[in-house]
Amino acid sequence: MTFLERSRDPEAHKHWYGDMEASYLYSTGIAGEKFFSTLRDKGKITGASCPKCRKVFLPPRMYCEICFSETKNWKDVGKEGTVETYSVGYVGIDGEPLDEPVVYGLIRFPRTEGGLVHVLSVKPEKVKIGMKVKAKLKPKKERKGSILDIASFG
Amino acid sequence: MRKVACIGAGMTLFWRRLQETGKEMCWEAASMALDQAGLTLKDIDMVVLGSAPDAFDGIHMKGENLLDGAGGAKKPYMRVFTGGGTAVFTPIAAWWHIASGLANKVLVLCEEKMSSVFPHPQSAFGHIWDPILDRPLKPNLVWIFAMEMNRYMTKHGIKKEDIARIAVKNKRNAVDHPCAQLPDPNITVEDVLNSEVMAWPVQRLDISPPSDGASALVKTSEKVAKKVSDDIAWVEGTGWCIDKTMWTCRDLVFPEYVARAAKQAYRMAKIDNPRKQIHVAEPYDPFDYKECHHTEGLLLCDKGKAPSMTKEGITYRDGDLPICPSGGLLGVGNPIAATMGIKAGEIYWQLTQQAGKRQVKNDPEVGVCQAWGDLMQYGSVLVMRRG
Ligand SMILES: [Zn+2]
Repeated sequence: MTFLERSRDPEAHKHWYGDMEASYLYSTGIAGEKFFSTLRDKGKITGASCPKCRKVFLPPRMYCEICFSETKNWKDVGKEGTVETYSVGYVGIDGEPLDEPVVYGLIRFPRTEGGLVHVLSVKPEKVKIGMKVKAKLKPKKERKGSILDIASFG
Repeated sequence: MRKVACIGAGMTLFWRRLQETGKEMCWEAASMALDQAGLTLKDIDMVVLGSAPDAFDGIHMKGENLLDGAGGAKKPYMRVFTGGGTAVFTPIAAWWHIASGLANKVLVLCEEKMSSVFPHPQSAFGHIWDPILDRPLKPNLVWIFAMEMNRYMTKHGIKKEDIARIAVKNKRNAVDHPCAQLPDPNITVEDVLNSEVMAWPVQRLDISPPSDGASALVKTSEKVAKKVSDDIAWVEGTGWCIDKTMWTCRDLVFPEYVARAAKQAYRMAKIDNPRKQIHVAEPYDPFDYKECHHTEGLLLCDKGKAPSMTKEGITYRDGDLPICPSGGLLGVGNPIAATMGIKAGEIYWQLTQQAGKRQVKNDPEVGVCQAWGDLMQYGSVLVMRRG
């Protein structure tokens, strides 16, 4: 059995261009509806707490994934969190170099399960694991009920 | 449960763009594995195929598209899918076909054609994120790994150069693999540290290259194996486990889900001291730090100590516990599911002394392989013993 020639050129072999055309409309869900409308209207980041385990989940869920109870109480987790980890991105999704590096982080909040991944408005040379950051919300009239209502953490 | 044997393995080149279609690659790999097993397609009772997201090949329901090259037509046939974990989960699925008594001879196929999506498979990875919480932020897969790597390094105080040494080991090991895409006999730690920074701390040479490829195994019952083969490795233990859906809710330092999968497999294989009883390992290494993560998850060293094993020379082919002697994903290439050929396939060849120039020096009796996938939270573990 022989292997055919190696090639790096995507068009070197006989080929056919095509795509998978499909557009989508995604639901935010029961918990997402509440989380995003609270963020838009009250400017608060909220988690959902389990009546049995007492754990507060962020991002909030309709159910507790540990005991399967329905989460009933919603808690304001505040706007200040800690950088659990971060990365500084230098290339984009197709490997193209970015004009400006982008700092992304995972932010954890006190007494909550989970956290949020978001853009950090901290200079690449200043960002540190363990640093405190605060959510910078967009002005109320620009908020649309999406994760982008938080402009960044910094 | 019945005893299950592996009696043959095969794989294609792992390459950026092979002329072959997915099903043609399947046929090449399957033919090699059948030749080695001394069987033909007519002998096969059932076929199990593994392949990762449809979006890479660009064909929805690709299990059905690949069916004829996999030899599955008019046979009990199924596709399994656990993302990157498919590479070791597919042979696990084949194992339960035989262990249960349902089949005696199973052909196991794994396929991925990542070059169909262009300019880069990253655009397909873009759709694995939560559409509401993550995607508006335009996350890039590498950035997420970079955050995990950073947390791991910071928590344990590990230096970048100690992780880069693993990329060097695997890319050099791959020089001896006939299917390798990125072997480099002269690569140094400095080369890795000087390569393009993609998302700190991940640099170009910390990452395995996306590839096209297919791999195959032949698994049989004990009775069939003893009749047709002199090169047998027994499947001794299987385990699989998955962490939480939300990436933000996980422990980024230690892969507890891999440890749970490993404990399940070790219990079945009657292994109570993996560091002594396992002689060769093929943990999943799409990034150099993931080899460390997974070596620790497989309980082959203490937490945070995997990088020093390579520093001390333990993980090389002539060391006490060779790790990724195949050259791994970092050196041979990363056609997601098809890496079965350098995980389960490599352990089979190592245990039956058929690895040629890659053969480890410690005369291994027991080997473990592991793959990692789904949304970066899945571990599949397979333990084999030489026949
Ligand atoms: Zn609960």
